[in-house]
Amino acid sequence: MLQHLIKLIWNRKGSHLLLIIEIWASFMVLFGVMSLVTFNLDNYRESLGFEYEQVWAIDLSRNQDTVQTADKIAKVLQRIKSYPEVEKVSQMSSNSPFSFSQMNSSISRKKTSTLSDIYYADENFDEVFDIKMKSGRWYQSSDSVAKNKPVVINQKTADALFGTENPIGKTLDDNKIVVGVIDNFKAKGEFTKNEPAFFQLMWPRSEEGKIIIKLKSGTDANFEAKLVKDLGNMLVGWTVEVSYLTDQRQNQHNMALVPMIVFAIIAGFLLLNVAMGLFGILKVNIAKRREEIGVRRAMGATEADIQKQFVAEMWVIATFAVLIGLLFAVQFPILKVFDLASGVYWVAIVLAILIIYGLVTICAFYPSRQAAKIQPAIVLHES
Amino acid sequence: MLLNYIKIAWKVLLRHPFYTFITLFGISITLTVLMMITSFLDHLVGSHYPEQNRDKSLYVMNLFLEDSARTSQMGGPISYDFYKKYIETLKTPKRTSVSSMITSANSYINGKRIKVSTKYCDTNFWEITNYEFLEGKPFNQTNIANGDHVVVITDAMREQFFDSSSESVIGKMVEVDNEKYKVIGVVKAGPVTRILTFSDMFFPYNLPKSNYQRTGLQGTFVAIIEANSSSDFPEIKSEFENNVSKIPVPIKMGGTKYSIIDTHAQTYTDTMLYGVFHKEIGSKFYLVVGLVLLMLMGLPAINLVNLNVSRILERASEIGVRKAFGAPTRTLAFQFIVENIFITFIGGAIALILTSVGIYIFNRSGLILYSDLTINLPVFGVSLLVCLVFGLLSGVAPAFRMAKMKVIDALKRQ
Amino acid sequence: MITLNNIEKVYQTSTIETLALNNINIDIKKGEFVSIMGPSGCGKSTLLNIMGLLDEPTKGEILIDQKHVEQYTDKALALLRNQKIGFIFQSFHLINDLSVLDNVEIPLLYRNSSAQSRRDAAREALEKVGLSNRMKHFPNQLSGGQKQRVAIARAIVGKPDIILADEPTGNLDSAMGNEILNILLQLNAEGCTIVMVTHDESMAKKTHRLIRLFDGTQVY
Repeated sequence: MLQHLIKLIWNRKGSHLLLIIEIWASFMVLFGVMSLVTFNLDNYRESLGFEYEQVWAIDLSRNQDTVQTADKIAKVLQRIKSYPEVEKVSQMSSNSPFSFSQMNSSISRKKTSTLSDIYYADENFDEVFDIKMKSGRWYQSSDSVAKNKPVVINQKTADALFGTENPIGKTLDDNKIVVGVIDNFKAKGEFTKNEPAFFQLMWPRSEEGKIIIKLKSGTDANFEAKLVKDLGNMLVGWTVEVSYLTDQRQNQHNMALVPMIVFAIIAGFLLLNVAMGLFGILKVNIAKRREEIGVRRAMGATEADIQKQFVAEMWVIATFAVLIGLLFAVQFPILKVFDLASGVYWVAIVLAILIIYGLVTICAFYPSRQAAKIQPAIVLHES
Repeated sequence: MLLNYIKIAWKVLLRHPFYTFITLFGISITLTVLMMITSFLDHLVGSHYPEQNRDKSLYVMNLFLEDSARTSQMGGPISYDFYKKYIETLKTPKRTSVSSMITSANSYINGKRIKVSTKYCDTNFWEITNYEFLEGKPFNQTNIANGDHVVVITDAMREQFFDSSSESVIGKMVEVDNEKYKVIGVVKAGPVTRILTFSDMFFPYNLPKSNYQRTGLQGTFVAIIEANSSSDFPEIKSEFENNVSKIPVPIKMGGTKYSIIDTHAQTYTDTMLYGVFHKEIGSKFYLVVGLVLLMLMGLPAINLVNLNVSRILERASEIGVRKAFGAPTRTLAFQFIVENIFITFIGGAIALILTSVGIYIFNRSGLILYSDLTINLPVFGVSLLVCLVFGLLSGVAPAFRMAKMKVIDALKRQ
Repeated sequence: MITLNNIEKVYQTSTIETLALNNINIDIKKGEFVSIMGPSGCGKSTLLNIMGLLDEPTKGEILIDQKHVEQYTDKALALLRNQKIGFIFQSFHLINDLSVLDNVEIPLLYRNSSAQSRRDAAREALEKVGLSNRMKHFPNQLSGGQKQRVAIARAIVGKPDIILADEPTGNLDSAMGNEILNILLQLNAEGCTIVMVTHDESMAKKTHRLIRLFDGTQVY
């Protein structure tokens, strides 16, 4: 039967050409949108690797003040620790989690190297963000006197530089020693890729950067106002800005979600359009093939046979279109366009194929039912 | 005669409500999406409040330093010092202005935090932009010379900081980032997407927190150069490049010698694209946008042509009868094309309404702060043209096919 | 073979009721060649459709091989049509996008037979009607007579017990018409039961039995 249908469609390829082009184009649009969706969801499945609830980032910039700035920072840190509302305090470089600031560099060991996000952070960083060690330990301020500078890397960096070796205690180029390994660290939010990360002890303390504080639950903006006022009095002429990590995370999410939603809506309208078009075309085509339906019924086809035939024909047409689409789509994983993991494209291809078949099945279902209901006695005597 | 054709077209549409619905839906949704997109692009790059001079302005936003092997690179906005030396001295432009990239600061009122975007700018900024003053006036050279702590705020900020009483807020104080400033003007807020001119509060550039004294080429500032007309662009660009070429290189910083200074005076669109991709990709970008639009248009167009081509046979007997009674092919083809153009225009009208509603909702949604999307005339014109192409594309093929049909075949069909 | 008892068929539209067939009693025996004659609109085709299980009578009984089929489901009726009945139509009703061979195979598609056995059966049927040299052609490359021979091949490919022919020569000139009639007579001689609707008195005379209809009523 399938062979029969393929023959039938092949012999009608002229009139099916537009239909095939249309389904092909739909497939390509779906492939694009699904790649984006898969990429984001794939990332979303990976955990962040740190906690951000009740965490604030205080951005300090000394502007033109140059007098005893290190001293002032030390005093400010002391002051912040003394508030009963504050649970933990840490200082780090300006590229705090969820901020729009980013720093990366190539980390190398012997012959291998990897581009990694670099964070300068003090010894309390892991506590503020409640980061669990996978192996080893977080560095301490006492490590600063050691000959080799202590660093913590995430699993991604460990994989890139050490493969299956245990990185703890091994040295990197530039006299750095790995003291700890953490799991994921997705600083720009759940929708970003889990990239290699690298933490180095901030020593001596920076005179700017960010102070990260973890608060006891129930702390509100009144404390924030007080904190900013106090800091303002201690740091005259400085710029002090408090941000909640939960807000910043939302901004990062919007960056990923808004384009995805916009594309999905546009693609949705396009597909709705195509679906209605297919529906209409099928209705017309079936009207044109009443005679054939009559003959087949007379020759012993049941209603179900007719319905199956028309749905199956759409599948065959969709298969032609999808095969052409695949020729284009497989170029993406093969040629590594856009630097996405090739798995993302394969999943997107599978999803796009499923949606296409679902779409044509839905579109073909009702017209095919109508086709099955055609009375052979009437159509066979029309001409 | 034409009226007669339209009458027939109308009757045909009413006779097949299902197909009419599909066709109208396809046309109107496609055009709506297209118009929303062009409207949004126009919002992003067109000349609108407060940058009505954008089409005759050039921008210097970023400056990249690279070593001779191009392995190390440092990029960022320019410094005030750079502006003073190499941009303010340009002779061709009508005027130039310097303003900082927006930074954010916090303000606390009654236990409530207000996030404020702040910008430091010179007096020319108020000449180059078209900010509408609802109250007061911009700061002037005297304010700058005295180092006055004055601020121009937007109407949105006025609502946040002061109770919405009708009395003037000029002369009142606002406290931002632990410093007090006197309000001297209130402007109507612009959309946040005009990132080089948008802000909630505008301060004189020479307040200490602006960091304008920072030395070196890079800092936190952006320059806007207004030309007398866009035809002066090449001259301004070459004058600027000439100025930059006089900067002595290499520049030593953090152990690296930077010998290439990469900065350009560019139109707004180029500036934004260069900022993102750091490459001259203008034409490539338009190509990609064009392809996406083509895809958007192409799919529904194929859909419509497909439907029309399939349906032509449905009307074969009608065509046969008309032909048998002597209607020339040309007349019939014309009728078909009129029908298609007619339905396309109805679709276009629906799209226009849908777009207006869509834009209204978008503007009100707050998705983009203070957004001012409009259906403007060029966008509408392009859409109408697109309508016509649509109609012809989906009308000509069936009409052509019909013209070839023999009377006897047509009559035989159902 | 086929027995019709007290068949009545009424066509109902919103405004008028038309009596197409009234009190028809026919019994077709195995091996018979029966022709049905009557003026246009007398209900010949309706009668044939009812015999072929394509249409249901408003009243009356149909028995195929002594079995009542009035309560049969669509599926069971389709099976009967497929196994026992072959159709030939005035306007051939070939599928233009399929080759001659593929057209002839169609009834076998609705049975569980292998591709090879379908192919063989279709070839054999086409040989029987003398078209084995036209198997790869498409219907629009054939003359009217050839088309009807393809239709006959399609009707006999499933080895049905009875062939129902609705004016098989109506669209053909007399030479071609005679050719088709000869094939049908040959098939009948080989044991096939045939019921043929015709306008042609001379053709009807060559068959075993003649049923005349007038305004939906059996004349004799």
